[in-house]
Amino acid sequence: MLELARYDGRRRFKGSVYLSIGLALLAALIVWIFPSFRDAMDMDELLAAYPEPVLQVMGIRTMATLEGFLAVELYVFGWIILLGLYLAYSTAGVIADDVDRGRMDVLLSLPISRARVVGEKFVAMAVPIVLVNILTPIVVYVGAPLIDESISGTDLLAVHLFSIPYLFACAGIGLLASVIFNRASIAQRVALGVTFALFLVESLLDGTDYEAIGAVAPMRYFDPNEILLESTYDVGDAAVLVGMTLLLLLASQLWFRRCDIS
Amino acid sequence: MDVIELAGLTKDYGEVVANDDVTFSVERGEIFGYLGPNGAGKTTTIRALLGLISPTDGTARVLGHDITDESDLLEGKRDIGYLPDSPSFDEGATGRDVLELHARIKGDERSEELLELFDPPLDREVREYSHGNVRKLGLVLTFMHDPELVILDEPTSGLDPLMQQRFAEFLRAERKRGVTAFFSSHVLGEVRRLCDRVAIIREGQLVTVKPVESLLDRSGKVVRLRTAEPVPFDRFDPSSLAGVHDLETSLDREERAGDDSNTAFTECTFTFTGDVNALVDRLDGIGLLDLSIEEAPLEDIFMRFYGTEDDVGAGRPSDNISGSEAGDKQVGDTAQPSGGGDDA
Repeated sequence: MLELARYDGRRRFKGSVYLSIGLALLAALIVWIFPSFRDAMDMDELLAAYPEPVLQVMGIRTMATLEGFLAVELYVFGWIILLGLYLAYSTAGVIADDVDRGRMDVLLSLPISRARVVGEKFVAMAVPIVLVNILTPIVVYVGAPLIDESISGTDLLAVHLFSIPYLFACAGIGLLASVIFNRASIAQRVALGVTFALFLVESLLDGTDYEAIGAVAPMRYFDPNEILLESTYDVGDAAVLVGMTLLLLLASQLWFRRCDIS
Repeated sequence: MDVIELAGLTKDYGEVVANDDVTFSVERGEIFGYLGPNGAGKTTTIRALLGLISPTDGTARVLGHDITDESDLLEGKRDIGYLPDSPSFDEGATGRDVLELHARIKGDERSEELLELFDPPLDREVREYSHGNVRKLGLVLTFMHDPELVILDEPTSGLDPLMQQRFAEFLRAERKRGVTAFFSSHVLGEVRRLCDRVAIIREGQLVTVKPVESLLDRSGKVVRLRTAEPVPFDRFDPSSLAGVHDLETSLDREERAGDDSNTAFTECTFTFTGDVNALVDRLDGIGLLDLSIEEAPLEDIFMRFYGTEDDVGAGRPSDNISGSEAGDKQVGDTAQPSGGGDDA
């Protein structure tokens, strides 16, 4: 079991390390510039100058504290948007690219079921998902005292832990696109489009009569502000993300079982 | 029990019926050729047998397992080796990575021995592989778990002649060990050299299944030659050399065109189905600048020997070589419908 997941995971390792270094550098940069922002201007005044929709889309609550600043600049922007899109995009390639390039024929000639191929390739996405969450919290935790700030280690750990089911859910969107479209480029574009649309729907419809529509978006169930500013950990939300991920995985497996490889 | 049994296998894509009610079976321990021109539906049959596409009608069994039942077919896959028509592997992986993955999933009984025979550069990344190397790696993967049945889609295309020879020897040795091989090809000569029986498919329909001895032993060669001095026309005329078809000649020197262009030539092309010794005798004494003898395209051979009345009527009304026997699909007899056929 998991031979394919191990193989795929190993092949993703190097790229994932680079990605995680890149994000750690982004985190270091954000921590480093925070004091000059904090000292140069009244951040709450700056926020008041932003139009409401912008604050809403970015989920901005406060930027006057390091936690609030990180929640917006690093976690909403870097994790929810950038990494969410990256994982949807990258996972959209896992099946479609193999089919597209004719590698799936060889793979399926092995005594391995289609559901298992989908499952194991999805499991291999744990490599980037987990790796990006290792280096960054260390950088932030070590960096905060260097700018005379402090940040709760527990909250920091929590925001990274809770981001894992969120990122898996985004990868699940990519996976479904990957089995439906047998051209990798199309699957990837669809996955990007759908993920970004879900993000916009969730953030823009928040507080309106159509708020309920946003319930299908994974972004609703991961809120870095809540975790970092209020130390509120919503395990129920994480469970919804896990459920969403399993549902997307199952749907992808069912679809892939009954489609022609061509 | 037959190793492969197809029962009315049909794959209808709407705009084209890639396989139309295909029925035949492959017996244990034989090398079975699946012959047809490019686009005839060979790959469709093979991919259906592997469960990669599902038939729109009919079914098939491979090693007794139903191809339309994924879990049933999975049990058989441990004993099947498959080489696709254009095998493809992770570009960034080395041959060894791919080999190890396959070994872990399906087992490795004999990769060392196979690697001595077909030696892909295992430590290089697949992206650096030539077509031939990709195919060599594919062959190792196909046979490494010592399968009972191998399904090979155009296995020798992309292999150099030396490797083709090595592959043919290898496949014959495998047959002695009891392995069943089902392979597709669009080259009649290759099938004739290797196979015990042959199925011929054309435009999705099975034309015939025959023991190879009853197949025509002359697949037809395209002969091209260029000479230093003009050669009298009648030297290769069908009436003087049996088995010459479609003779086309030319003189490549303008100044001579006036006097003997109707009686002599310096360049000619023809399809030859006669005795090669007779051809060689006829070439004796000619000062050749260039000579090539190649296997004739299968499509031409079909038109000549397996053409149906439909084809003659619709496609090539001028193709009258097959004459009144054009509708005869039986190829077992030695009497050739072509003009001037001579037993080789």
